[in-house]
Amino acid sequence: MAKPKIASDWMAGCAGCHMSLLDIDERILQIAELVDIRATPITDLKEPDESGVDVGILEGGINNTANEEVAHKMRKRCKILVALGDCAVFGGVPAMRNFFKLDEVLKRAYIETESTDEEGKIPDDPELAKMTKVRAVHEVVPVDVFVPGCPPDPDVIFYVLSELAQGRIPELKDEKLHWH
Amino acid sequence: MVTLTIDGRTVEVPEGTTVLRAAEKAGIKIPTLCDHPHLQPFGGCRVCVVEVEGLRTLQPSCTLPVSQNMVVRTNTPKVLAARKFVLTLIFSDRNHFCPYCQVSGGDCELQNTALDMGMTHWDYQPAWKPYPVDASHPNLVIDHNRCILCRRCVRACGELVGNYTLGIEERGANSMLIADTGVPFGESTCISCGTCSQVCPTGAIIDRRSAYQGLEKKTESTRTVCVQCSVGCGVEVLTRDNRMVRILGDWDATVNGGVICKLGRFDPLDDTRERVKTPMVRKDGKLQPASWDEALEVIAKTLKAHQGKGIAALVSPRLPAEAMTAFKSLFKEGLHAEMVTSMNGSGMASRLAAEAGVHENTLDVLHCADCVVTVGLDLYSDHQVLGFFIKRRLNTSTALVVMDSRENRFAEYARIALKPAAGKEAFALQALAAAIREGHNGTSGKFGELASKAGLSEAEIAKVADLIRKSGTTVFVYGEGLDENGAKALLEVVQQAGDNTKLVSAKGAANSLFAGQLGLSNSFNPKGCPTVFVALGDDEPSNALIQQLEGTEFLAVAASHVSRLTAMADVVLPVEMWAEQEGTYINLEGRVQKAHAALRPTEWVRSSTEAIMALGKLLDVPVSTDWQKAFQNHPSPVTLIGEPA
Repeated sequence: MAKPKIASDWMAGCAGCHMSLLDIDERILQIAELVDIRATPITDLKEPDESGVDVGILEGGINNTANEEVAHKMRKRCKILVALGDCAVFGGVPAMRNFFKLDEVLKRAYIETESTDEEGKIPDDPELAKMTKVRAVHEVVPVDVFVPGCPPDPDVIFYVLSELAQGRIPELKDEKLHWH
Repeated sequence: MVTLTIDGRTVEVPEGTTVLRAAEKAGIKIPTLCDHPHLQPFGGCRVCVVEVEGLRTLQPSCTLPVSQNMVVRTNTPKVLAARKFVLTLIFSDRNHFCPYCQVSGGDCELQNTALDMGMTHWDYQPAWKPYPVDASHPNLVIDHNRCILCRRCVRACGELVGNYTLGIEERGANSMLIADTGVPFGESTCISCGTCSQVCPTGAIIDRRSAYQGLEKKTESTRTVCVQCSVGCGVEVLTRDNRMVRILGDWDATVNGGVICKLGRFDPLDDTRERVKTPMVRKDGKLQPASWDEALEVIAKTLKAHQGKGIAALVSPRLPAEAMTAFKSLFKEGLHAEMVTSMNGSGMASRLAAEAGVHENTLDVLHCADCVVTVGLDLYSDHQVLGFFIKRRLNTSTALVVMDSRENRFAEYARIALKPAAGKEAFALQALAAAIREGHNGTSGKFGELASKAGLSEAEIAKVADLIRKSGTTVFVYGEGLDENGAKALLEVVQQAGDNTKLVSAKGAANSLFAGQLGLSNSFNPKGCPTVFVALGDDEPSNALIQQLEGTEFLAVAASHVSRLTAMADVVLPVEMWAEQEGTYINLEGRVQKAHAALRPTEWVRSSTEAIMALGKLLDVPVSTDWQKAFQNHPSPVTLIGEPA
């Protein structure tokens, strides 16, 4: 049997979940033996294979049209979609901005910050992605496996990956399950 | 007894028990958020639903009483699905941002319940409607985003503290926790006892001082006694890396049953006084760090030289019984000092008891009183937990009478408030005694005359007498605001009124009762004594004391904190503060309680008892810490309870 293919990507997050993934340290070699790691933000290949992968992992919430595209593409190209970390699962820290109107948020970020000079301007290039409310991944595309945590513990990530690598759906409970 | 089956296990419980408690007894855990063992069942959160054979719908186990042969199932797929759905709705109602909540990761009952249920995510996201955060209160913060409307705080505020500050306005999804009629929390009638924060299952009510200082589950907990007053509440001191993080009321403590006041919960954490870190000896007019040996040597030498020429010694009634016993044995029996006493006020209760043979009751009587009369005691600011016991009964038929010649904020809660002229309380009480005896038959009796001597009207006294006559049990609670004549008059009222009248007295400081029993209640007058030793502990010296001791030839102070008194001293010994010391405390009802050290003092600090014993050794005076023996020397107004073997 061919090794299962895994791809990952990040959206509105802090990359901390991928850092936690790297925190599994030398165990990454065991994972690499079991799976074919395809596209990730921290390797050369950036997009999941058009021909599809077995497992897609998404870190971060969805806060603009570009993230929506990433999520849809990953969902379309993977069999099992994993939401990794509190932002992907709940919206997380970026979702704090949902309490404000988008133009207020942009004004604060590009014009009113203490370090912005008088030239402050909200970017309006039509090429730019359009901002949206921050959503958890499952609000946009169906998710198969939820791995909460801010970030999830490396041991939990290792468990999830090794289960998926061996064709099982990981079950998070007891000491493996925590949010925050 | 009722027999029922829960998850196949047979349980026998008394009639009236709830299914939740019956399950607990059987060792079956049913999750719940609104239930609290010290509050009345409420049935608000619906997390504790169970399946009951023969009943069409799921039932909240916290409010469902058991019945004979009931068959309950607590973990069927139907129950689990409902429970998960309820949690999902609770999470979607407000904004539960776990990553930046101080209770996330172990202290949040909501999060813990969800994790126990294996919830990896929320099916429904919140509506992202921002809720206010009320940070107007000096001690507490209410974050409505995290509130699950379980009403534990509301119930604790009413049922346990009797304050009824917190409430809920509106209905359904518009329900909001409010203080009073919706005023900012900091401007409300809140008395800052913090019980609401202790029962809050989420991070909705947090206390400013300890918030974000680490999870409760990662702290060490020490059960000890609060030494802020003579009630002697049981407290749990949470520490982390030898630092006090939080103080909680001990739910298992007989005295207070979990409630404590602001003085016990928040004030010790706000103590910013500087510590005395090493022994100090005055050299060339300046206090200089010294070794214990050197400092003790200087004190011993002076005491020896001045023996018979005037030694005065003063002890704080906040110190453990062992320290006070050692103090008395050194200065009174050993050195025959001219003046040996405590900062205890009059020690009236013990003395009067000795004279009149009157016995005081335990605090239990407050929990079943029909009428409570406080005399010379403001339970709003003093011995507050006694006030809680009374206030929580005021919504029943219990009546409160407050008699005080001073301004008394507790009078707000009273059915009848009497304000006799200052120093005339004795007349008011004599009038009351006469009115109870004579009855009020429309004709002015002897008590009218006495009432007017007290500056009160006859009708006022008659109303109180009437209330007492009609009450099953009346409890008189008196304090230091009553002078000796007043106290004697009160004892007469109590003796005359018979078995249905009970007496409780507030004794002042944590070990004031014991100080009285030791006979350390004379007022302090060091005049003519060139040598003064003060065992201050962590007490704050009064201005009067500082004035009295100005110009003392030789002053030695054993204190935990730097003060104007230590600045005046010739020798300062660094001793433990309350959270560092072990020892015995006897509260106002005679309950013997052990204080345990929650914190380790720094290297140079010793206990007050050790300091006194070391001094005794140097002076070749045998020093005893046998407080039991000392206690028996005087007739006591109370019987010792729970005396450790």
